[in-house]
Amino acid sequence: MLTFTEEILLLLLGEEDGAFLPVNSNAFECALAGATLMDLAFALRIDTDLESLIVLNENPTGLSMLDRILARIAAHPEVMDAQSWVRLLAREEANTIREQALASLVDRGILEQRERRRVEHYPMRDGTAQREIKLHIREVVLADDIPDPRDVVRIALCDACSIFPEVLSDREIEQATPRIRQLRIMDLIGREVAGAIAAIQRTMLMAVRTRLARFRKYVLALAAIGGIATLATVLVPRIPVPDRFGPTLLERLWGDGAWQEWSGYVLLALSVLGFAAASVRRMRFAAKMGDQNWWRVMHVGLGMSCVLLLFVHTGFRLGYNLNAVLMGCYLAALISGAFAGVLMGGATQLRRFGFAQVGKLTRLPMRVHVIALCTLPALLVIHLLIVYLY
Amino acid sequence: MSRNAVIATLSTVGTLVAVGVVVVLMMVGGDRRALLIGATTDAHHQLELSCETCHAAPAFADPETAKSELNKTCQNCHEDALDDADDSHSRKRFRSPRMAAYWEKVDARYCTSCHVEHRPDITRASAVTVAMDFCVACHSEGEQDIRTTRPSHEGLSFDTCAGCHNYHDNRALYEDFLVRHAGQPWLKPEPVHALSAQYRAWKPPEESAVGPGGTMAPAAALADSTIVAHWAGSGHAAAGVTCASCHAPDVADDGPQRDVEAAWIDAPSTSVCRDCHRQEVRTFALGRHGMRQHPELAEPREPGQGLAKLGLDATLPETILASLSDPAPPTHMHAAEARLPMRTDAPTEPLNCGTCHDSHAVDIEHAAVAACAACHDDAHTQAYFGSPHHALWLKEQAGEAALGTGVSCATCHMVKGKRRGKVTTNHNQNDSLRPNEKMIRPVCLDCHGLAFSLDSLADTDLVSRNFTGRPAVHVESIEWAIQRAEPPDAGR
Repeated sequence: MLTFTEEILLLLLGEEDGAFLPVNSNAFECALAGATLMDLAFALRIDTDLESLIVLNENPTGLSMLDRILARIAAHPEVMDAQSWVRLLAREEANTIREQALASLVDRGILEQRERRRVEHYPMRDGTAQREIKLHIREVVLADDIPDPRDVVRIALCDACSIFPEVLSDREIEQATPRIRQLRIMDLIGREVAGAIAAIQRTMLMAVRTRLARFRKYVLALAAIGGIATLATVLVPRIPVPDRFGPTLLERLWGDGAWQEWSGYVLLALSVLGFAAASVRRMRFAAKMGDQNWWRVMHVGLGMSCVLLLFVHTGFRLGYNLNAVLMGCYLAALISGAFAGVLMGGATQLRRFGFAQVGKLTRLPMRVHVIALCTLPALLVIHLLIVYLY
Repeated sequence: MSRNAVIATLSTVGTLVAVGVVVVLMMVGGDRRALLIGATTDAHHQLELSCETCHAAPAFADPETAKSELNKTCQNCHEDALDDADDSHSRKRFRSPRMAAYWEKVDARYCTSCHVEHRPDITRASAVTVAMDFCVACHSEGEQDIRTTRPSHEGLSFDTCAGCHNYHDNRALYEDFLVRHAGQPWLKPEPVHALSAQYRAWKPPEESAVGPGGTMAPAAALADSTIVAHWAGSGHAAAGVTCASCHAPDVADDGPQRDVEAAWIDAPSTSVCRDCHRQEVRTFALGRHGMRQHPELAEPREPGQGLAKLGLDATLPETILASLSDPAPPTHMHAAEARLPMRTDAPTEPLNCGTCHDSHAVDIEHAAVAACAACHDDAHTQAYFGSPHHALWLKEQAGEAALGTGVSCATCHMVKGKRRGKVTTNHNQNDSLRPNEKMIRPVCLDCHGLAFSLDSLADTDLVSRNFTGRPAVHVESIEWAIQRAEPPDAGR
């Protein structure tokens, strides 16, 4: 028979590719911790009430994964309640639990282990085990009978990990929601898992909101400055080239080939860095390098500095022929990016003023931003070819 | 494929295709006007399709080589004119190591130091792309400090230099010349443009004249009595130039009728005119009207050579090579392409000798005024009619005044010159146009005093009114030159 941990992992695997379904990582870790505690409870090794979780029997269960956790609980100097154990194990043991459970499923011949693009996948050999679990859960949820205690645990875990959309149709979920709520609180550990997840998510949401609010301020300020600077320099009359002979700064900037070359390459470097900041933000290693929101702030900040460099390089003269197209696309990218930045950064304030669909509003400038950026590599290479060939 | 992957793929493919097209345009052939980085100046816009006329350096040449090669091409068209003008700041002078200190200020060894193409935002009059007070670079310190060597210039700012001096052509502005021509009346006692008078007085010997019976042409060509009448009254008929001389140039004058008919060309090219009017056709190609026939213009590129340079197979089918060819540059100017104001009913045919002279009447009086006004529609041209110069022209035409007293458009803009004892018309209208002081010696001084000429040409309003009235501007050059030549206290 599969342990709860193995069952919950099996349910979280995609049917076709063996990749994990997108589940909130905190909820997933809490569910794994809770599943392990339930396995121990059903093996009569621990018991729990509202205030404490105690060890009934320290004898090993024969499953190394469970025995390690049992030993840790037994050795713990203080008695803690179930929710505290769920949090502690989720934080410190979830990865080990996950790896051991997956290894056990591979050993049992239910899963295969494969690597694709350096990411491990666990495709199912025939999918029977997962199908049977899903069918069983479906029967329990949609029936009116009093469920088996193991089924109560399964339902609590599935609900914690939001797995029901993989098992039931939208209509069935709507119909079964009152019963799911009722069943998930029948088990104390299940209830504590749900409680722990809810508490963690609340805390994280607060933290994320606080952090986001700070980042949004930066994004809003930088995007607004960049947008206003771009619009202003496009709309206000051009600064004329000085009509006095002499090496003035403006004459050098807009007349000296060497200065133009330098300002052009610095602008190119800033543009590439800005693009890289936006792209890296979505990559896995970026997450390890710190808060992803910093990448966004960096992207907007680099965009703003591009406005300044564009002024240095061109004096915001729009150019001629293909250079005018390049300038147009560059300005479109800057203005649309700044507009999207203002919408993102000012989302909270905009919602307060009744603009509920800020996300939708952001879509158009983002699309313009992406389309304009897509044209830039070709136009930039052509610009360079023209400069160096003629 | 995810949406991001689709976008990235499309962008990459689009970039490669676009860059490939541009590389082919640059290295192999095709219409490159879209690659222009700025509008071409009025001086060169007619040559826009012949990039290699100026951009002669090989692709990706180092900046020094590219600059040097580019500047060499300027000489191809402008060197003779600068030599004729006794260029005050010739490149030759500045190439001397003695002048090295000035290279850092304005590198006068290169035309492009002051004349950069495709930069309309900094292009001033005469295609100058540096601030007009550029004299300050060299003439504001040391032995060249003009404010200390010329007391009269003390306190003058450098943006006023161009009021009396030109950078290149100072033939009518140098000190000795000014002193020599000081004190002249505004109008000379016998105001006659001598070379024009000689030119108009010339008549071919009577014995060379041929009449309609003396020319050979296909019957169909002779059927148009107007054309025949025009020719019969022309200088050509008077000089013995028959129909066949132009329409069948390869047939001897006394060749048989059947040879003339066989070799008949309905619309002879300018090269036929060149046989007799070599100097006129040569100078026509130096000016704005005929510069598309300048001998130094680059030929369209050979696509095969470009492909070979790129390491590609140049033995492609003719149709592909043809599609990669440069567009054929226009061989003639059209009034519609002009950047000066032109009449809406200006002739639409390409500009050649016949446009102004009328191929059969060959009327030099028509070419001197009416032909110009058939296209040009600026204030100066409009004001000519009714101006004192026009009145003189009408009088001369009516036989009420001596030859050479009338002033036509051509008198000033297609200046007469003498070559091997023969008076010819310089068809390079630019030779006496910009800066307009170039007109003083060959034209103005025949009738007017130098001081009046300088003042008149400096008064832009008066120029617009085509010299109807008196100059409201006074150029003090002559007074200052006299002061320097004969200081007030020189006799003490």
